Amino acid sequence: MSEALELAGRLLGAAESEEALALVHSERSGLARFARSEVHQPTLIENDVLELQIVRDGRLGIAASNRTDDEGMRALAARAAEAADSAPADPDFPGLAPPADLPEVEGFDEETASLSADDQARLAAAAIDASELDLYGFFTSGVTELALASTTGVAVSQPMTDASVLALAAEDGASGYAEQTSWRLGGIDPVGASAQAVEKAKHTRGAVTLEPGSYPAVLEPPAFAELLLYFAYDAFGALGLLEERSYAYGRLGEKVFDERFSLADDSLDPRGLPKAFDFEGTPKQRVELVEDGVLTGVVWDRTTAKRAGDGRSSTGHAPPSSVRHWGPLPFGLSVAGGEADSPQELAELIGDGIYVTRLHYLSIVDAREGVITGMTRDGTFRVRAGKVAEPLVNLRFTVSVPELLAELPGLTREPMLLNQSAYYDERYPQGMLSPAVATTRFDVTGVGSGPGV
Amino acid sequence: MRELCDHAVAAALGAGASYADARVVVRRSQVVGTRNQRVERLDDSETEGIGVRVLVNGAWGFACDRRLTADGARAAAGKASAFAKAAPGGHARELAPLEPAQGVFRTPVERDPFEVSLADKIELCLRAEGALVHEDVKVTSASVRAQREHKVFVSSEGAATEHELVECGGGIDAMAARDGLTQIRSYPSAHGGSSSQAGWEYVESLGLEREAPRVGEQAAALLQATPCPSHVTTVVIDAEQTALQVHESVGHPTELDRVYGTEAAYAGTSFLKPEDLGSLRYGSEHMNVTSDSTTPGGLGTFGFDDEGVPAGREPVVAEGVLSGFLTSRETAAKIGSGSGGSMRADTWNRMPLVRMTNLHLEPGEGSLEELIAGVEEGVFLQTNKSWSIDDKRLNFQFGTQIAWEIEDGRLGRMLRDSTYTGQTPVFWGSLDGVAGSEEWVLHGLINCGKGQPGQHAHVSHGASPARFRNVQVGFKQ
Repeated sequence: MSEALELAGRLLGAAESEEALALVHSERSGLARFARSEVHQPTLIENDVLELQIVRDGRLGIAASNRTDDEGMRALAARAAEAADSAPADPDFPGLAPPADLPEVEGFDEETASLSADDQARLAAAAIDASELDLYGFFTSGVTELALASTTGVAVSQPMTDASVLALAAEDGASGYAEQTSWRLGGIDPVGASAQAVEKAKHTRGAVTLEPGSYPAVLEPPAFAELLLYFAYDAFGALGLLEERSYAYGRLGEKVFDERFSLADDSLDPRGLPKAFDFEGTPKQRVELVEDGVLTGVVWDRTTAKRAGDGRSSTGHAPPSSVRHWGPLPFGLSVAGGEADSPQELAELIGDGIYVTRLHYLSIVDAREGVITGMTRDGTFRVRAGKVAEPLVNLRFTVSVPELLAELPGLTREPMLLNQSAYYDERYPQGMLSPAVATTRFDVTGVGSGPGV
Repeated sequence: MRELCDHAVAAALGAGASYADARVVVRRSQVVGTRNQRVERLDDSETEGIGVRVLVNGAWGFACDRRLTADGARAAAGKASAFAKAAPGGHARELAPLEPAQGVFRTPVERDPFEVSLADKIELCLRAEGALVHEDVKVTSASVRAQREHKVFVSSEGAATEHELVECGGGIDAMAARDGLTQIRSYPSAHGGSSSQAGWEYVESLGLEREAPRVGEQAAALLQATPCPSHVTTVVIDAEQTALQVHESVGHPTELDRVYGTEAAYAGTSFLKPEDLGSLRYGSEHMNVTSDSTTPGGLGTFGFDDEGVPAGREPVVAEGVLSGFLTSRETAAKIGSGSGGSMRADTWNRMPLVRMTNLHLEPGEGSLEELIAGVEEGVFLQTNKSWSIDDKRLNFQFGTQIAWEIEDGRLGRMLRDSTYTGQTPVFWGSLDGVAGSEEWVLHGLINCGKGQPGQHAHVSHGASPARFRNVQVGFKQ
């Protein structure tokens, strides 16, 4: 039994309740953040967050603490019980999850788990040393474990590893970006990412402006994944569907996107950041969200499944309780690859347009219609005659994601794993598998600053 | 707690640090949220630990330990020192000189929010939510929050400070939908309401139940409203959205760590340069922005920042000219000044960063009505809905939940799906009026993100409604 699961068991015992769920979220991580080719914010984190959910007559109370001593657990149990006693009964409360067989998943790598602070600093230094321009970014690795024990008999735990390198090579008037993420250290190459960022940066010098308008575009995986994530959290969760406010409401079963576009949520895929169960202890399922352009499904947790009232069950997508008001979330998005070998081949498909490496500061303008605004950065180019041409300043875009997905001349064959965690609060490895994509419509609504720092 | 910090600092110095500081934080947070008359969130969280920051041979190191024991303190110090040694910098880091501070700061509280029962908090949310109900409103929600943080800071230079900070907040939202169209209205702010460093009296002062019927009715009315047309016009912006405009286009670009590029990979940099100080024309003569960590009720109010720098009030933009940066001891040293006291850490397991404290647009004269009366043709924009700004904080686009046409100095038709966009200095240069102090409102937000690993800062902004000329409203195609 892992230490985290043992802690969860002790906490469950401290609850002294007929209906309770104990959750332990452990983190051991190091992040060597660098700027101007120097590590300037190195952070080591060790923490164990204990959460107790106590249910009394359909009333749910939740409390959390990071004290693991007996007195701390008793105090935590008292606060959770007080919360439960304070709540009115919820007729839609689905009860705690029953025990279930879990899928076997990968996602833990001993080498990654054993990385020391020295190793993390060394790998950051390797990326820095490989850059002929000032390098900004980080190397990070960590071990996260989620353990759940409940009075229904759930007793599950999963240790997860993750490692990421983010490289922004930059100088005045030029910047290029690259990132790599894996649950295995061997799956990333900090030196390679650094070199890729430098190569991209070199081509951004002398950026020119662009008239606002609608352009065909190639979006590299980091750009497409971020845009899709903003759309997906609202569009592919059951809560927005039930509340009639998401893009999926009234559109399930309709062909709304290009038939080349298929999207699933698949936390079982070893190419991603695999997970066996969600924050309720329900086994993870692969969910087809879009098949050949047809909107086919959303993800569910136990609460929304019961509220739907049609015999539906959870797909294993309950989020952490701190964001349960968002409803179930697709934490493991996976876009099916296409037939192109490279983003450059996609540029040939669009002929004339723009090429986008990375996005910045996205915001949802209209969730129901999937309208999102943001900026491009660190590698925006014109595409002319099927070739990546002159660099552009950063562009403001305001796009309807469904319109962007309506006509896709192509996608690259091999999806790339993109880190989707900014490491706020407790670490929870989160990534998306995405290829690069070519679209016939990317709406540029303004211009911003040039590349570089 | 003081003793633990002393242990940590001593251990760090023993491990070779030339400078060290330690923070012990014990925080309790409560969130109560209801949605469609169900309790959606009922969370009561505590977290505690010690964070140790060291400077070894010119390199920073930071580590933390959740154990509030001497062993935990020493372990954090040892790991921080080891990490600093493992990642040596290329040059020495200088810290602006500072007289070691000693002091205690406590939030003045009339009613301890943790003395208010969870049942009463739920009841308040349900009552407020109930008053949002309208035939076309599909989702109603209400939330309240409370936080208490006890923090002790000790540095190797002899600083020793203590804080007991209390925050409260709340808000309501109504989402209306019909025929595939959805619209939202919120009060007192979008994205979770507004918070203040105060006791429960702040939540009571919000009058959530009192304001709810208007909020629900406006959400429903927006379903019938005309889409905001795209054109260049005069805009009058309410205090809440003006506060966010200050946050994004003045607060972040004046953070001196961004100016020096240390946030380049994530949050971005700044269009400002150190040499712009005192000369750059940021906006019109009506633009006066002040950083003030002494503002009563501000979420960025304290006795001392997380480097032990005393709270203060400093101009950032004076009559339209860049007059100050938000600084740490390290960044201040680079421009030859003393620290302005803007170093803040999210909690015990995060390293302090340059953050906003309370950043205000100083009031001008007159009322909102007078601002509107001075507009022949324009748009009045209210309550943030979406926000985005580029990595140097130049090009921005904001959406608001609601707008009204202005015709001949009076409000006309209600408009939906309103957005406006601009370039920071051009936009602020078009400022031609700020309403007076009677319209000035302090907004507290708790979701300002920065840093890797990510950190949330709680900051406040005071603003009055403001008027800007020649602004692009809607999307320029």
